[in-house]
Amino acid sequence: MSGIEFYIVVLLVYLGTDLLAAWGLNLEFGIAGVANLAFIVVVAAGAYTYSILSLGPDTGNGGFQQYVLGFRFPFFVAVVAAALAGAAVGMVIGITGLKRIRPDYQAMVMLVISLMAATVVGADSGFLNGLAGLSLVPNPFSSLNSTFGPWVYVGMVAFACLVGYFVMRRFTGGPMGRRLRAMRDDEHAAAAMGVSVVRLRLMSQAVGGAFGGVSGALLVAFIGGWSPGGWAYVETLALLTAIIVGGMGNDFGVSIGTFLIAVLLLQGVQFLPPIRSHSGLTEALGWIVLGVLTIAFLWIRPQGIFRERRPRYRWRLGAGTRAGADSGAGTSPAPPS
Amino acid sequence: MHLLIEAIGFGVASGAVLALGAVGFTLQFGISNVLNLTYGSLMSLAAFLALFMINLGWNVWLTMAIGGLLIGIASVALNRGLLAPLIGRGMQRTSLIIVTASAGIVLQYVIVAVAGPSTQSYGNLQGATLHFLGWTLTTGQVVIILLTVALMACLHLILTRTQLGRAMRATSANRTLARSCGIPTSRVSDIAWFLSGVLCGLAGIALAITIESFDFTIGPIFLVPMIAAAVLGGVGQPYGAMVGGLVVGVVSQVSAAYWDPAYENVVALAILIIMLLVRPRGLFGANWSSRKLLA
Repeated sequence: MSGIEFYIVVLLVYLGTDLLAAWGLNLEFGIAGVANLAFIVVVAAGAYTYSILSLGPDTGNGGFQQYVLGFRFPFFVAVVAAALAGAAVGMVIGITGLKRIRPDYQAMVMLVISLMAATVVGADSGFLNGLAGLSLVPNPFSSLNSTFGPWVYVGMVAFACLVGYFVMRRFTGGPMGRRLRAMRDDEHAAAAMGVSVVRLRLMSQAVGGAFGGVSGALLVAFIGGWSPGGWAYVETLALLTAIIVGGMGNDFGVSIGTFLIAVLLLQGVQFLPPIRSHSGLTEALGWIVLGVLTIAFLWIRPQGIFRERRPRYRWRLGAGTRAGADSGAGTSPAPPS
Repeated sequence: MHLLIEAIGFGVASGAVLALGAVGFTLQFGISNVLNLTYGSLMSLAAFLALFMINLGWNVWLTMAIGGLLIGIASVALNRGLLAPLIGRGMQRTSLIIVTASAGIVLQYVIVAVAGPSTQSYGNLQGATLHFLGWTLTTGQVVIILLTVALMACLHLILTRTQLGRAMRATSANRTLARSCGIPTSRVSDIAWFLSGVLCGLAGIALAITIESFDFTIGPIFLVPMIAAAVLGGVGQPYGAMVGGLVVGVVSQVSAAYWDPAYENVVALAILIIMLLVRPRGLFGANWSSRKLLA
């Protein structure tokens, strides 16, 4: 397999896993309104779960890394377990958000959880091999022909994205989507209409966490290793930028945003010619552009490139008037569906 | 027992630096009611500006003073250029915290783009080791502790004895009422941001002096214990932040001595989370949660 071909495989796998993660975060932040700055922790939870369930006992491979558990489950079992782990960690993070404190304190708590998770995992070398992280994570296509083995993996990621897309649409569209958006727009009004805010918040964090977990699992199986350096709190900000730029609450927008930021920007800067006197300059430029884009979009166009489309109903309120049906259509009363 | 006393000594030294940063942070928060996460990156900027000046051969304490002034100006620019306009347009708190975090990232990576990602050092500036009261501290640490005490005393005098201080306290408590009393609140804001920026710069350079080897992440890493100190003392309360800095410093060092040094930062993080969830107004603060955002 040529270098260019493999690079395209890498880009496609990154795009697929970033899409899954972005959809998860969009569900939590764009639709349900939960500012989960600790999202990368659920991705890491999925990645670590996949690793410790497929690496085998830690005495193997010369025993150079220490971690808990250590089974050799097949690929699909480990991925499903990663999704469940992501959901569980997501819910735990969500529980801290249940206390009614001002929104930026809540965001701060999530940020601190993210930092704490990275510090604790990095410090305890017996749990998940500390700062060095886990490596030699088995790859399901390593036994296949090396020419199309990687493409088979791309196919698997694409399949996961397809499944993920339909699952996501169930949550972002239809009655559930309306309930989540109602909770985001006005919690008290939603609660008055019978929406159980606590349950919905926890559910959105669990589902978002599951998406993140699968994303992490697919990524670690491809890359083969995972360490605390790879899931710093800035990674959540990169995903947030993708969502904000693309359009929060708009599934298509979020997908385009992920492609623009995660692929074009963060990968594209690696094609800039390296300047010998300054190492790390091109990567720094990528992050600078990312930060500037976030600020610019939040200032000038917070809806993002593709606005969230509010559902429009055909039914009219009174005879001959379109008074109820059009403006802010999401709030107009619809016949029970 | 000896270990405990020594750990308390280290705690006082690190607590002094944390108090410097926390008081600056809490001044900003009190005046504008926004969690400014760019504060950490400004500390990194201060450390690197001082590095540049020290490499030119200037005296370290002079560079500390100049660095503080420069970051004071940068803070005022940050407020006037970015935060005040956004608050004026009614941006939500959650979006503001994302904006300040992003601005912090931009600043950090500008530092990387200019000075590179590798660790730097001022060289060994700490001076001789002193032993007293069972504590083992370097001259540099002692100077920083004394400097912090002096600055806190100055701040106390400004806040209580001068008209500016009264204006700052009034603006912090109720901006609209202060404006109706004829206080030029946007000018008072600028001065408060300048003072807190100076403290931010001094804290960043003090950190770089005591840590000895640092990179562009030094500010953000220490920002969280500073926020913990500020929240512990009550956001918007400078005296609370001073006490908070001392408490966080001592508790972190004592737990590092008795438990595991790698978990030193985790203690500060835990204090922050617990305070935010259990008693957001801190030990000495008033109930700030209901205050609206004010530029």
